[in-house]
Order: sequence, then C-alpha cells, then structure tokens
Amino acid sequence: MHHNKAVEIKNLHYKYPDGTSALNGVDVVIEHGETVALLGPNGAGKSTFILHLNGILRGNGEVKILGLPINGRTLKEIRRRVGLVFQDPDDQLFCPNVFEDVAFGPINMGLSKEEIVTKVNKALASVEMEGFEKRPAHHLSFGQKKRVAIASVLSMEPDMLVLDEPTSNLDPRGKGKIIEILGSLPVTKVVITHNLDEATKLCKRAIVMDEGKIVADDAIEKILSNESMLKNHGLF
Amino acid sequence: MKHFFIDKYSEVKSPIRNLDARAKIITFFSLILLCVTTPPKALLAFGGYYLILAIMLVISKVPLSFILKRVVIAIPFILMVAAFIPFIGADVGGSYNLWGITLYQRGLLILFNVTVKALFGVAALTLLVSTTPFDELMEGLKKLGVPKVFITIASFMYRYIFVVVDETMRMKRARDSRNFEGRWIWQASAVGHMVATLFLRSYERGERVYSAMLSRGYDGEVKSLSEHPITRKDIIFTLFIISTAVLLNLSYALIKLFIGG
Ligand SMILES: Nc1ncnc2c1ncn2[C@@H]1O[C@H](COP(=O)(O)OP(=O)(O)O)[C@@H](O)[C@H]1O
Ligand SMILES: [Mg+2]
Repeated sequence: MHHNKAVEIKNLHYKYPDGTSALNGVDVVIEHGETVALLGPNGAGKSTFILHLNGILRGNGEVKILGLPINGRTLKEIRRRVGLVFQDPDDQLFCPNVFEDVAFGPINMGLSKEEIVTKVNKALASVEMEGFEKRPAHHLSFGQKKRVAIASVLSMEPDMLVLDEPTSNLDPRGKGKIIEILGSLPVTKVVITHNLDEATKLCKRAIVMDEGKIVADDAIEKILSNESMLKNHGLF
Repeated sequence: MKHFFIDKYSEVKSPIRNLDARAKIITFFSLILLCVTTPPKALLAFGGYYLILAIMLVISKVPLSFILKRVVIAIPFILMVAAFIPFIGADVGGSYNLWGITLYQRGLLILFNVTVKALFGVAALTLLVSTTPFDELMEGLKKLGVPKVFITIASFMYRYIFVVVDETMRMKRARDSRNFEGRWIWQASAVGHMVATLFLRSYERGERVYSAMLSRGYDGEVKSLSEHPITRKDIIFTLFIISTAVLLNLSYALIKLFIGG
C-alpha cells in the first residue's frame, strides 16, 4: 500500500547556534508500521535527532517524513501526522487543564467542536485518563502527566509517534503502564529509551547513536547480544 | 513537591462554584467597587457587605480559615500605608488623648475605612478565586473583553509558577546540602549564580514549551473551545447581589434624606 517510507533521512548534520555539532551525518530509513528503539548515551544526539522528525529543527541533509520532503508547505501536515512527545511532560502540557491540552492539536487542525470532543475522549480513554478533563496539570502525578502528554498527541491521530524517554523517572508500575499503552497503539513508533528491557518488549529493531552518528542499526536481539558494542557506547 | 494553590477549593461543588465565571467576576468586582465608594460613616452598609460575603462563603463551603489566612496577609500592607493617619492633625472633628499621644477622630475614621474596605476587597477576591477554577476565571475574563495577550500570559504564569518554584526548591536543597549558610557577604555570588541559573533554565524551558506548541500545530494564536452559555441563575445571582449592594451603598444617604440628618 505505502510506496514511501515513514522516515527517510540522508546525511543529516545539525549544529546548535552555540557551535555544538549534535548530528554528524545521520542516515536512517524507517518503514511504516515499524517500532524502533533509539538507544545511546546522554548527549549522543537522540533528542536533537527526533526534533528533525517533525521539522522543529532543520539541519543540513535530506529529510523526508511520510513521503514528504520537509519544507514550508509540508510542515503543517507533517506536524499533524507526526506526534512528538517531549521528555518532560511539563513542557508538553502548557494549557490550563487536561482537556485543553489534549484538545490543543485538534483545535489547531481546525476541526469542528464535536470532532474535537470525540478525539479528546478517545485519546484520554486510550491512556486511561478519562475523568481528568478539568484537572490542571499541576494537580496530576508525574505518571499521570506522562500519560496525558501521550494523549495530547494521540488526539491528532498521528501516523507516527515519536517519544523522548517516555518511561524516564517513573516507578516500575508507571513504566509498565506506559509500555502497555504504547504496545497497544498500531502506528509507526520511534522510542528513545535507556531501558533495554523495555526496548525489547516494544521493538523489533534498535538504532544506537553516539556522538551524533548512528553506530549500530539492527534487529534488537542482535544489538543486545553485541556486548562489546554496547559497552563501547556506554549502554551496558 | 506540595504547593499551596490559590484555587485549592475551586473544585468543591457548590451553587457558587457552579455559576458562570463571568457572572461571578462582574458580581465580585461590583461588590468591591460599591464597598469602596460607600461613605465613611455608613457602618450599617459595611456590615451589610460583609454579611453578603459571609452568606456566600457559607454557601460555597470554602473554610473561613482559608479566607482569613489570605486576608491576614494583607494587613501589614494596609498598616504600612495607613497606620500613621490617626496621628496626623486635622482641623475638623475631635480628638482623643491617649497617654499624651493625640489621636484624631477624622484620621481614625479614615484608618477604619481603609482597613475595612481593603480587607473586604481581599476577602471578596479570595472567595472569587477559591470558587472558580483558574481556567474558568481566564475564560470568563476573556469573554468579558480582557485582551487575549493578558489572558495567555496569566495562564502561562499560573501554569509554570509551580514548576519554577519546584526548580528553585531543588536548587536550594542542593546548595544547602553542600553546607551553604548564606551568612557571609561573599556568599552573595552563590545566590546571584542561583538566580542566573534559574533564569537560564526558565528560558530553556520556554524554548521547549514553544517547540511542544509548534509540534501540535500552533500558529501564533491560542485557540480554545469552551463556551458556557449564561443561564438564568447566573443573571439572577448577579442582579440580586449587585442590587443589594447598591442599596447598601446608598443606604447612608437615603437614611439621612428620610430622617433629615
Ligand atoms: N539547545 C542546545 N544548545 C546547544 N547545545 C545543545 C542543545 N541541546 C543539546 N545540545 C548538545 O547537543 C548534543 C546532543 O544533545 P541531545 O540531542 O540532547 O542528546 P541526547 O538526547 O542523546 O542525550 C549534546 O552535546 C548537547 O550538549
Ligand atoms: Mg535527550
């Protein structure tokens, strides 16, 4: 059905304004429907990389998302179809209450009121946060915030989900819950994580980054069995 | 971390809580305005305003102690501004002599007025805020024509003030656990450094929040859905309270008119 890839990136370079070069030639192809773990030590460039997947950052190189080259005309559609969940839910949830945070995307898509309400309800149901609509974010626990943050992009019904450390700082039960929720979503997923167990549960493929480059890209069992590589890049 | 939320009781169900935010904003602001413009000697009227507030407080189920705590905070400010007034000479009215200090009647009346009116304002606003969730309050102000920029700024401020307070507390803790005592002037640089770090972190957070907004299709305008129709009970409540307050405001003049004071 799909002729094109979910992600097609060639020779991507990115330098922050202060001169730090965070990406030094990244090549990735991700097929539709894949769930990919993005591993790597702190400062490897993982967060910088995923900010290129919906055009928040625009580095040098060829970036095609869902078949569309990123440019001014495609940006809006790409942002609607790629749901990016930030690491800190306090960055993701900026509205006065849960409903408005989850409705923020659909409202900007210009949907009708009925459609918006339907999408918000559906998104909150899939992260099991129904009934919290009127709560302000600062009255939620950390785990609840993480779930609402996921709902805030699910409400746009994205074709691809990109999550920056979705389980970091959560207790084991909270982690389990997030993994269960992510496992139940039938879309293309890119998940940054430091937890190799979770990566195995969720993904068939893993990409390892270090110093702004991809150093390994393979089936997750193969990646995990390559202990010397994992040690070299501080993952083991 | 646990915070003290100004809208702590705003989720407590009550008839006042259920009123439209616009109705409450108009009512409370009118009450304050009418109270402030009441003639100084209309003691009965002041009693009336406080009675109205007390009745609303009972209906709203907000604990009296919660309101009192907020009101107490205002007292030092009032005293700072007005405490000296009774000691300043005035040609009109009498005076009292208290252990050699002269207190002027007129000054005392002014002090009494400033205190009563200021405390009423604080109490009324506290009751408004503790019976209206912040998002509804903002929504109400927006519908009453307050420019969107102010609403957006206030909303972000309220959303992130707790995050920033948390960050500050964490930094303070980290500093204190390294035996910082803050007693010596040369340690001031550490405080300066903390403040700088806080600014930097807030700036960085701002950038990330903005990215998160862009990611969900933000194009320069915060749009919102909610539309609450004004209902009959909102109108009845507003008119009832305001008309009572207007009567109180005029009571002094009316009484004088009838009994020809
Ligand atoms: N806003 C920024 N400005 C300058 N340098 C940054 C910024 N964000 C990240 N970096 C730098 O870019 C590199 C990659 O960072 P990042 O993508 O956050 O790594 P990761 O998510 O893998 O931990 C690091 O050296 C980091 O210090
Ligand atoms: Mg990161």
